Amino acid sequence: MIDWFSFLEVLVAAWLGASVVVGLYALGLRLLAVSGNVPFVPPVEFDEAITVLTPKQVRKETKRARKASERNPYSPGVKLLARIGAYVLFGLAALVVLYGIYLIVPYFHS
Amino acid sequence: MSLTLIVVLVVVLALFFDFTNGFHDTANAMATPIATGALKPRPAVALAAALNLVGAFLSTAVAQTISGGLIRGEGDHVSITPPLVLAGLVGAITWNLLTWLWGVPSSSSHALFGGLIGATIVGTWDAGSIDYHVLLGKIVIPALLSPVVAGLVAYSSTKLAYFATRRRDGRADGRSGFRYGQIFSSSLVALSHGTNDAQKTMGVITLLLISAGLQPAGEAGPQWWVILACALAIATGTYTGGWRIIRTLGKGLTEVKPAQGFAAETSTAATILASSHLGFALSTTQVASGSVIGSGLGRSDGHVKWGTAGRIALGWLLTLPVAAIVGGATASIARLGTAGLIIDLVIAVVVIVIVFRINARRRVTSAHMTPHAEAEVADATVALEFTRPGDEAAAVASPAGSAGAADREARP
Repeated sequence: MIDWFSFLEVLVAAWLGASVVVGLYALGLRLLAVSGNVPFVPPVEFDEAITVLTPKQVRKETKRARKASERNPYSPGVKLLARIGAYVLFGLAALVVLYGIYLIVPYFHS
Repeated sequence: MSLTLIVVLVVVLALFFDFTNGFHDTANAMATPIATGALKPRPAVALAAALNLVGAFLSTAVAQTISGGLIRGEGDHVSITPPLVLAGLVGAITWNLLTWLWGVPSSSSHALFGGLIGATIVGTWDAGSIDYHVLLGKIVIPALLSPVVAGLVAYSSTKLAYFATRRRDGRADGRSGFRYGQIFSSSLVALSHGTNDAQKTMGVITLLLISAGLQPAGEAGPQWWVILACALAIATGTYTGGWRIIRTLGKGLTEVKPAQGFAAETSTAATILASSHLGFALSTTQVASGSVIGSGLGRSDGHVKWGTAGRIALGWLLTLPVAAIVGGATASIARLGTAGLIIDLVIAVVVIVIVFRINARRRVTSAHMTPHAEAEVADATVALEFTRPGDEAAAVASPAGSAGAADREARP
């Protein structure tokens, strides 16, 4: 009827893949914050967008992010390490995605 | 009608189905990044279209499941004939266009399978002409399980994303940085959509060529021109964009925040890629919807509008049988011979024209994502509602009303 083993394989593979990519990216953001670079990425503006921030809110959030970046207890060395770590993690997330694509393209395996 | 002419007509219809598949499913990849403001609508659909095109060339595992297994053949003989493929496609296109008009993210794949199954059963008067083991094992059961799998994966990834970025001191956590990630994760969904959905039409055209004796039954793989044509059709469709469905997925189910959108998209892509690799022809739409719901549950202050979710689920339940009934009805007309085929084609064209005319009257475009946008704020704790400017009753939609109310809200 159904190959339950394959199904389980799909579940585990999907869960692992998603967790690794999301985990790496999220930890990267975390390290970026530790390094004193809390990102604030405002939503893009377009007609009738779903997520809308007023210019005032954007200013407020930018200020909040800047404050969080400034009030940072870590030493310059730790900050530098965290920053490098963040980019390494982003890079790793990208590599995992590329590896996933590599796995599913039969051309690379024939 | 000569066989060649029928084959040409069916190929054209199949490519049109592929086109509807594309614009029906733009939402799977691009609803969440558009909802969080990670991407503007036009660049988003252009990106999705380009990646669909690329994805279509990457793998043909799913195409082979369709052309090689579902409809039972004896040796070199296949029980499905070109007129039956035509009938099946009419069923699939009809249901796809109607659900798009209603803004329901239903499965294009199920519409296709339903149409073909109905047409085959009626056309051959033999319920045994369908391989029910393949139907259940490769289509029905994966369809029930895939949204659950995607939902679970999305739930856990959302928790993970929030856990990893949580700051106990209450300072800015930089989660808006997930917006950049979303550009990549939604691209991955579009790519995986190409590897999965474009395959389905390739499978059907290959099935047709085999049944017409233009391709030996032993070779289940699609020919190069079939791959190219299908890739182009689905990319064009994707670029055209089904705004109605984008709205349902992007804001009808739950309010989507960047971290959550990133987790949902990554889960969708991972689930589709994993199953595509194993040849399960699961529905991209159901996976994407499952992920959005799962991520809504995974966010501690998230709300899922179960009314909309229920409506979507109802659409899913109806998809296979309704497409099968339409496909069966079309097939019974096709039994009349050439005249029947002509009647079928006329019906198909009339349905297409009517749906597009209704759409033109109640237009939903990228500029209609939500009226009254400035009133809505990203940090609203309740999921967003539709409001209609200048209306006597400002709040139109109930929390459950998004999918069904899509048409009403669209009018200026």
